[in-house]
Amino acid sequence: MRRFATTASLCSFYIVFGTVFPATSEPTQSPAPQDVPVRFNRDIRPILAENCFPCHGPDPGSRQGKLRLDREEGFFADRGEGALVVRGKPDSSPLLSRVMSKDSEEVMPPPKAKKTLKLQQKELLRRWIAQGAPWEPHWSFLKPERAPLPAVKNPKWVLNVVDRFVLARLEAAGLTPAPEADRRTLARRLSLDLVGLPPEPEAVEAFVNDASSDAYERYVRRLFDSPRYGEHRARYWLDAARYADTHGLHFDNYREIWPYRDWVIQAFNRNVPFDVFTTEQLAGDLLPNPTKDQIIATGFHRCNITTNEGGTIAEENLANYARDRVETTSWVWLGLTANCAVCHDHKFDPITTKDFYSMAAFFRNTTQGALDGNVKDSAPVMVLPKPEDEKRWASIPADTDQVQKSIAARKGALRADFDKWLETAQPDAWEAELAKIGPPTFHLPLDTEPPGPELAATHQGKPIAVKAEGTVKWIDSGRAGKALLLEGQTTVDLGDVGAFEKDTAFSFGCWVRLNANQQGAASVLARMDDDAGYRGWDLWVQGNEFAAHLVHKWQDDAIKVSTTGSLVKRGTWQHVFVTYDGSAKAEGFRIFVDGKQAKLNLEANTLKNTPRTPAPLLLGRRKKSGVLAGGALQDLRIYARRLAAAEVQRLAIHPKAAALLAKPPKDRQPKEKQDVFDVASAGDAELAAGAEKLAAFEAERKAIRDRASVTHVMEERKGSMPTANILFRGEYDKPRDKVEAAVFTSLNPLPTGAPKSRLGLAQWLVSKDHPLTARVMVNRFWQELFGTGIVKTAEDFGIMGEAPSHPELLDTLAAEFRDHWDVRKLLTLILTSATYRQSAATTKEKLEKDGANRLFSRGPRFRMDAEMIRDVALAASATLSPKLGGPSVKPYQPEGVWEAVGMNESNTKIYKRDSGEALYRRGLYSFWKRMAPPASMEILNAPSREMACVRRERTNTPLQALVTLNDPQFIEAARVLAQNAMKKALPSVADPRPAKEGTDEAARLDFIARRLLSRPLSKDETAIVLRVRGKLLAHYKAAPEDAKKLTAVGESKPDASLDPADLAAWTMVCNQMMNLDEVLNK
Amino acid sequence: MDPLFKDWGRSETRRQFLTRGKNALGTAALASLLGRDLPGQEPKAAPQGAHFAPKTKNIIYLHMVGGPAQMDLFDYKPKMQEMYDKDLPDSVRQGQRLTTMTSGQARFPIAPSKFKFARHGKCGMWITELLPWTARCADDICWIRSMHTDAINHEPAICYIQTGSQVTGRPCIGSWVSYGLGSMNANLPTFVVLVATPSNREQEQAISGRLWSSGFLPGEHAGVSFRTSGDPILFINNPPGVPDAVRRATLDGLKELNDLNYRQVGDPETHTRISQYEMAFRMQASVPELTNIKAEPESTFKLYGEEARKPGTFANTVLMARRLVERGVRFVQVYHNNWDHHGNLGGRMPSQCKDVDRACYGLLQDLKGRGMFDSTLVLWGGEFGRTIYSQGGLSKDNYGRDHHPRCFTWWMAGGGAKGGTIYGETDDFSYNIVKDPVRISDFHATLLHLLGFNHEKFTVKYQGLDARLSGVEPAKVIRDLLA
Repeated sequence: MRRFATTASLCSFYIVFGTVFPATSEPTQSPAPQDVPVRFNRDIRPILAENCFPCHGPDPGSRQGKLRLDREEGFFADRGEGALVVRGKPDSSPLLSRVMSKDSEEVMPPPKAKKTLKLQQKELLRRWIAQGAPWEPHWSFLKPERAPLPAVKNPKWVLNVVDRFVLARLEAAGLTPAPEADRRTLARRLSLDLVGLPPEPEAVEAFVNDASSDAYERYVRRLFDSPRYGEHRARYWLDAARYADTHGLHFDNYREIWPYRDWVIQAFNRNVPFDVFTTEQLAGDLLPNPTKDQIIATGFHRCNITTNEGGTIAEENLANYARDRVETTSWVWLGLTANCAVCHDHKFDPITTKDFYSMAAFFRNTTQGALDGNVKDSAPVMVLPKPEDEKRWASIPADTDQVQKSIAARKGALRADFDKWLETAQPDAWEAELAKIGPPTFHLPLDTEPPGPELAATHQGKPIAVKAEGTVKWIDSGRAGKALLLEGQTTVDLGDVGAFEKDTAFSFGCWVRLNANQQGAASVLARMDDDAGYRGWDLWVQGNEFAAHLVHKWQDDAIKVSTTGSLVKRGTWQHVFVTYDGSAKAEGFRIFVDGKQAKLNLEANTLKNTPRTPAPLLLGRRKKSGVLAGGALQDLRIYARRLAAAEVQRLAIHPKAAALLAKPPKDRQPKEKQDVFDVASAGDAELAAGAEKLAAFEAERKAIRDRASVTHVMEERKGSMPTANILFRGEYDKPRDKVEAAVFTSLNPLPTGAPKSRLGLAQWLVSKDHPLTARVMVNRFWQELFGTGIVKTAEDFGIMGEAPSHPELLDTLAAEFRDHWDVRKLLTLILTSATYRQSAATTKEKLEKDGANRLFSRGPRFRMDAEMIRDVALAASATLSPKLGGPSVKPYQPEGVWEAVGMNESNTKIYKRDSGEALYRRGLYSFWKRMAPPASMEILNAPSREMACVRRERTNTPLQALVTLNDPQFIEAARVLAQNAMKKALPSVADPRPAKEGTDEAARLDFIARRLLSRPLSKDETAIVLRVRGKLLAHYKAAPEDAKKLTAVGESKPDASLDPADLAAWTMVCNQMMNLDEVLNK
Repeated sequence: MDPLFKDWGRSETRRQFLTRGKNALGTAALASLLGRDLPGQEPKAAPQGAHFAPKTKNIIYLHMVGGPAQMDLFDYKPKMQEMYDKDLPDSVRQGQRLTTMTSGQARFPIAPSKFKFARHGKCGMWITELLPWTARCADDICWIRSMHTDAINHEPAICYIQTGSQVTGRPCIGSWVSYGLGSMNANLPTFVVLVATPSNREQEQAISGRLWSSGFLPGEHAGVSFRTSGDPILFINNPPGVPDAVRRATLDGLKELNDLNYRQVGDPETHTRISQYEMAFRMQASVPELTNIKAEPESTFKLYGEEARKPGTFANTVLMARRLVERGVRFVQVYHNNWDHHGNLGGRMPSQCKDVDRACYGLLQDLKGRGMFDSTLVLWGGEFGRTIYSQGGLSKDNYGRDHHPRCFTWWMAGGGAKGGTIYGETDDFSYNIVKDPVRISDFHATLLHLLGFNHEKFTVKYQGLDARLSGVEPAKVIRDLLA
């Protein structure tokens, strides 16, 4: 009965979906008799979903007549004039009369809906009602349970549970399974499925000759144990994770997140249970005391595309990021297309807009910003030091902490001394502090208005005569006493003071108050000759920054440094001091503003020759230009050495300290005491040593950070609950109700005790009650092996998705998987089934009844994915690098692929091909630029990784033929395979069986075939290839230039010991063989 | 995939199967049908109309990346001269959202166009002095001054106008056309993309493969990007040292070997592969002839200008587009970058116009001369318009303009578009549409109509929806634009 029902289900399925066209890939049977039970999920819901749900479905926005047909009560509740469906009575059921009506006002669906029911569909509805209208919830929303095993006629064929379900369907369709494939075929198929590479010929022969009863199982186990296994499984998962190496939008700059890719590889290699695998990726950071690996795993949801386009609106970007994360989670784990619910309640599946934004809330409580900054490490990221740095990286914080503590202790002791000193200090006590610096080489106090033009100044310890000429004004509001005002008409010629050399240290500076109206650039003081290439030096103001020059000839023999951060404060007194270490480098300059060392721009750094000039030192101007229009000066000092930071601070604090000491103790404010103390204590040797240590730790930290890898991770915003606003029609600027994080209401609830965070979301997905996760994953693993899932629409298990071909098998496997979440165990079960081991050879009957192999009437055979095709070529030629993980690589790619799409500012505009080993890494390590994915892979249907992809397309196009025929990667691989065949193939080694042909040529060909096909060639095949080879050899002997050109393709050099014509001919033989349908197919 | 599907594809008309496909098959099955019936067959001489007789067979779509300023080119606003440096009235702006590039501006001073305008043709279209050649075609062109969009930044806006959705991942117009109408030349792709290099490259926007992706349609409907440097098609050339005869010998052997394998395994896909390899070989043979622009007579360069000889220029690219269409390529998408004039519009606009002006004239004249004008639709426009107010500094001679989604100008010519039509009107500020707005979905519906499709029926099942180019909101064919 079960078998019969199953067959009927397919018939009706195709009556519904296949309409009237004849036999499809599915089995043909005559229409089911009247008493065959109609099933709601299988037969009726698809009709309703297609034709009725748009107006009578879950979306209230488009609902007509207050009628819902997606729920049971819609059919049977009294609508005032009775129920829509009267069980057992089709003719009394309004549903049927509306559907059957000929009246255009009456008929459902109405003409404007542009949907028409087929006769068969109407008939099914009638039969359903006649049979009592049994209703069922949608199949995939029911928790999967193990199904009873169906009876089969040929139990001998059955190896495990998989086969029972498959065979029952085959027998019902009148088909018999294909015979088991031969061992060589199985060896290749298993190897490609588990590690994504062809087996070594030796491994194939060992398997073929292994007479033990568990030879198959042991072969499988060996493949599982290979590190290549994790790489191969990871590749599928990385499509789902939308993993790539760039941000994806606008500049599409580099993003460093490959450690996440490597985590996925290792997770499969460690056979991490799928529930843990899920939890760590969605919420590893929220686990108690998360490990480094658990945090790296959260990169899953940092793989989404982000932008840094100027002009984009932060809120819109953040809404887009959260939206992507809900859609991805939904596709990858739930097999649901939640995206419809962005704008309105889903029209078919029970996902409301509120559901959508409630799930978005899980992802919005993040510290991630709206713009990626066009940087490779857009926060939050995790720094991953090199292995040798890890220990030090971990200990730096403790060391830093210790030094900071001893600094604090020392400061405490000094402060006690200072406070004691302050109690008794006389007003002039600070002079003693200043004296510690030693006398300046030159000092011009400018704090008292003299009676005449002569100013008080000392040079090298002696008073010297200096005059102020022109308009001379003194103002009262000096930093201390009166100050000299420069208004552009004042000349103060200091003569031969400040005759600096490039290789002697010096320091200079003063107090300056710039006029509020001062504009443009000017010199505060300068000894500079405009007429001689600006030779000399100065203290310069430009815009809102201070600067200093040391020039032989501007601008190609000069140093210029300027401050950053808008440090000029016009109208206030500022202490500006420049120090220089005599290194003739811009790096040797420091500028202090009010005692604080400023960050500098090194604007010029080319000084080679002397800055000495006969021009005099002038205040407020250079010899001819740079006139300071408005500014008051005081306390100009020049030292013939580089002052330490602490010394400059003493100078800067001097007026403040003097003022403090002049006050009665009770009037002294804590802040000013602290300021003076900070400066007074700055010269302390112990503190200085501490500061030096801190600086060294910081430098060390930075060095480790600079050579470390980073990876993007998730990080929760602290102190806020995950919430989101429902966005009206999905528009970021139309926020509606605020919602808390929650899971889809129509599915199982959050497990008891699960937190309302990403962690709870993960726990929900892998809870034993969840109807979808296990089914969806089992289906995808099945799809990896068989090419098509049991549910073909791997991304959509909803009402509009395709129904499973073997629902009981899917549920049984899902229940099994859910019990232990053991991926290897699940795969082993499928791989050891008789179903999997079948030969792929088909028959006319099978093509008619099971064209797409949805019944599994033969073994899987389909064109391999892009990465596999490339990996196979590299592995067969033994050029494949075994290196596992690490930064992505840039192998051969035609010129201009990136350049054609990249923006000028992008750091991924120019494709710079790697060399050496990087050219021969597995495809999953190729650098994935989202705007231009690896060209040859994209042609072979690799996705762009802009969004999650759980089912790749598999087309068969001429552009693909051009890749495997002409791509230098494949040509080089062909040449290396040819070289290996020519050098290594010996008749006796190549084929342990007695050599029939026994010739060199046949042995070489055999060598090639075993590496590409895992089998020897037949006599017919050998004859064809050798005939072609004869033609090729004739050509390359006649055209040695061609041979040279062909064998020069690729970075590796052709083997010089081989005859170029012969090598070229063999290269083209390998190229031909690499393009065999059998090689391109699994 | 499924050989039986393939056979039906051969025996049914495309229309039958499109109609059936709507309800019958999953996308992938339908895909295999559509894709597979081509390579083994002779190219079809004429398109098989999908729903009714098409007006146009081919489209050449010239996209001006960045968003040209409509008021400096086509949307003449003389009253703005008196409003120089006056503030844009709030009554006009109506609280519209701005990009963060100008949302911080203290004021929105009006920048009247510095360029002179004159009326052209019988239709009397006002056209800028910068486009004298295009102006000569005023009566061949159907002008739409009332396009509007929802997007305000480049990425979503280009995506929207080319796929009907601001979010990436859906098929673009070219893919829909390829999917719906198929190929007319078995040796060339159905949908080709050409990216021209502008003379000035000050502020280019990203142009990526996603713009010509086939979205959820099968991959063979993705645009094939012909490159202007290097090989025109990736991997089209045999490796060095492999002449055609060598390639032929290996392909012959390959076919024999694949046939042997087919006899053992019986996978019909093997035969498809054999024919795809043959088509690849034919493509290799036909592309050099196609791209040999040197073979054009002198008269061609008289039309398009001497620039057309220089690889990568817009003129050269447009000439290539004509050659492609002539050889049966359905849809040619041309991109011309650097229309994003946030600043220095006065300085940059003349070179932009110079790049495209004569070439557009040349293309229309050339199509006419070859009798291809009526069956080839030429489209010209960007992803949005620009603001009447200045971004950044304003002087009489120079100004910048920010993105403006509420109105912009497009034109189309040939292929069933009604020449000499001036459709739609904006207010004095070229800020809001006052008459006959054209939504992007209306525009898509109109395009599909010209190609013979009812846009509501031209659907593909995707994620449970009947997905279509014109989107889920109601859209209408704009009849006034049709000849």
